[in-house]
Amino acid sequence: MAVNPYRPYLGTLVGVRDLATDIKMFQVALDGPEESAGFTYWPGQFAFVSAFGVGEAPFGLASTLDRGSVLEFAVNRVGTVTSALHRLGEGDVVGVRGPFGNWFPMDEMRDKHIILLGGGIGGAPLRPVIHTVLDHRADYGKLTILWAARLPSLLIFTDEFDDWRAAPNTALHVTVDQGDEAWTGNVGLITELLEKVAPSPENAVTITCGPPIMIKFTLLTLEKLGFARDQMFVTLEAKMKCGIGKCGRCNLGEKFVCTDGPVFSYAEISQFLESF
Amino acid sequence: MSAENRAQETRGQGDKETRRGTPTMSEANGTMNIATRDDVAAWLDGLSRDLTLIAPKAVEDRVLYRPVAGSAEIAFDFGKADLPAKEYFLPSTHVLFSVEKDKEGLRVEEPSLEEGRVLFGLRPCDARALRVLDALFLKEPVDPYYAERRERTTLIGLACREMGEECFCTSLGLAPDDASDVDLMLTEVGGGRQEEGKGYAVQVVTAKGEAILGNLRLREIAGALPEPAVREKTPVLEAEAWSRYFDHAFWARLADRCLSCRLCTYVCPTCRCFDVRDYETPNRGVERLQAWDSCMAENYRRIAGGHDPRPTKAQRLRNRFYCKFCYYPQDFGPIACVGCGRCIARCPVNVDVVEVLQNVATL
Repeated sequence: MAVNPYRPYLGTLVGVRDLATDIKMFQVALDGPEESAGFTYWPGQFAFVSAFGVGEAPFGLASTLDRGSVLEFAVNRVGTVTSALHRLGEGDVVGVRGPFGNWFPMDEMRDKHIILLGGGIGGAPLRPVIHTVLDHRADYGKLTILWAARLPSLLIFTDEFDDWRAAPNTALHVTVDQGDEAWTGNVGLITELLEKVAPSPENAVTITCGPPIMIKFTLLTLEKLGFARDQMFVTLEAKMKCGIGKCGRCNLGEKFVCTDGPVFSYAEISQFLESF
Repeated sequence: MSAENRAQETRGQGDKETRRGTPTMSEANGTMNIATRDDVAAWLDGLSRDLTLIAPKAVEDRVLYRPVAGSAEIAFDFGKADLPAKEYFLPSTHVLFSVEKDKEGLRVEEPSLEEGRVLFGLRPCDARALRVLDALFLKEPVDPYYAERRERTTLIGLACREMGEECFCTSLGLAPDDASDVDLMLTEVGGGRQEEGKGYAVQVVTAKGEAILGNLRLREIAGALPEPAVREKTPVLEAEAWSRYFDHAFWARLADRCLSCRLCTYVCPTCRCFDVRDYETPNRGVERLQAWDSCMAENYRRIAGGHDPRPTKAQRLRNRFYCKFCYYPQDFGPIACVGCGRCIARCPVNVDVVEVLQNVATL
């Protein structure tokens, strides 16, 4: 049979650690050296991870090739597949199918200022952008990261905050919907934080990822700040079964999130018949 | 919209696709190659020795495409099978691969597929439906299971003499005797001129069809293929014209009576949504299964965590019609409806696609 796009590569979990409450980081080393070398991807792409016996689900790749061949996925325990993945540990074998979808316009973003807005687990696909910018710092303008979660215990990649803050020409702003006793930072929605930070739309690109409701209001706020719709990018999440435009699950009108996306500009999604 | 505009709007997406089967030499000469039913039966029996023969078969009070041991099991006189032949190319459930655990770790095994098959008695609508599915499954990246099943199957079409009660194939640019989507086309011709009962005019459409012709006894007679009886067409809007009716209240009204039972999807020859699930086998192995699914199902679009961009029945019913007439043509080329009318026949609450087309044209 020809190349089988439904057949996953086998990979071994070489690292599993807690990122936040119910969110774990899975590091996967693909078993075959050829498969590992052949798995090339760009920030914004996604892959399916299988917990054999339970199923597979799509996740944004949270790693970059620049930092090694180990694939990283941040997984929030919310459904059957993610719960099964959370029961696995180092040494366990998973399936990986991908990479799929389009990616962030990293080339077009060169020399531009970049504003990233991540809500909860939605921050995961933005991490490869942050790493790419930090690893090629001179190629990009100012990096402004707005990072949000419902609670402090749900903030992801907090162990990297110091690196991000220390990087040249980089600012990190964090907010939570609701603080706790230890929290001394911002409290409020990411849209309020965005209005406070008020980044300039001049020569800038924004990428927003998070729950749909957060994306919708963040885009409105950005528009209010003067950003044009083709300056604003989002990455969308959808139920998917194949990743290759066949199963029919992820359509928004005539667009498929898996093959036309998951990265879209606000200009594009404004033309969609269906809302995400 | 004026009638004139409507006529323009409805001109052909489907019509463009229409092509009668390549006429054989004899047809051009005003002659036909005729085989008697007995000869066709003997020929099919011969084919069934090396190939799996799938043919219309009476199963209780239904006619279904089923593997048959020989021609004696075939229901030669039938209108339209109760279910399309889709399941032989996109099975209702099939194994994508299995995962076995042994000493060396996990092993992924792909299933071996059926050997060569002949599908006899395919009606033009069900044959066109395969072309519609080809546009999606054979588009890169190719679905290797569908491609293999398609490759290994030779299609013998059987022209319809007339349109059935719910049929509206002509509205989609087909004809009851359309030979363009099969490998061999058989058309029943009046028995009067033959010595042994009924006969079939045999048209070779593709080389694949010619390859199985073998020793089928053909007799050249003068005459032309009979014209099937057709009915007036229902206008079908161009794909791009549908978007302006997306937010119309019509869809909510239509959905009031929809039961989300999904029968329309299951009897549809072009609905192809599928689910992928893991199944643990009794010996602790795992099978990953692909199975038919339906966009009419509640929670179809719900993601883990609860967000559902299509939570209402009206949105889901609208999606089915838009997929067929608006999205699929834009994404893959053909309209994803062949006018077989099975959804009309089966819907328990009379959601009628022809009525929808007529209504949308007047919104």
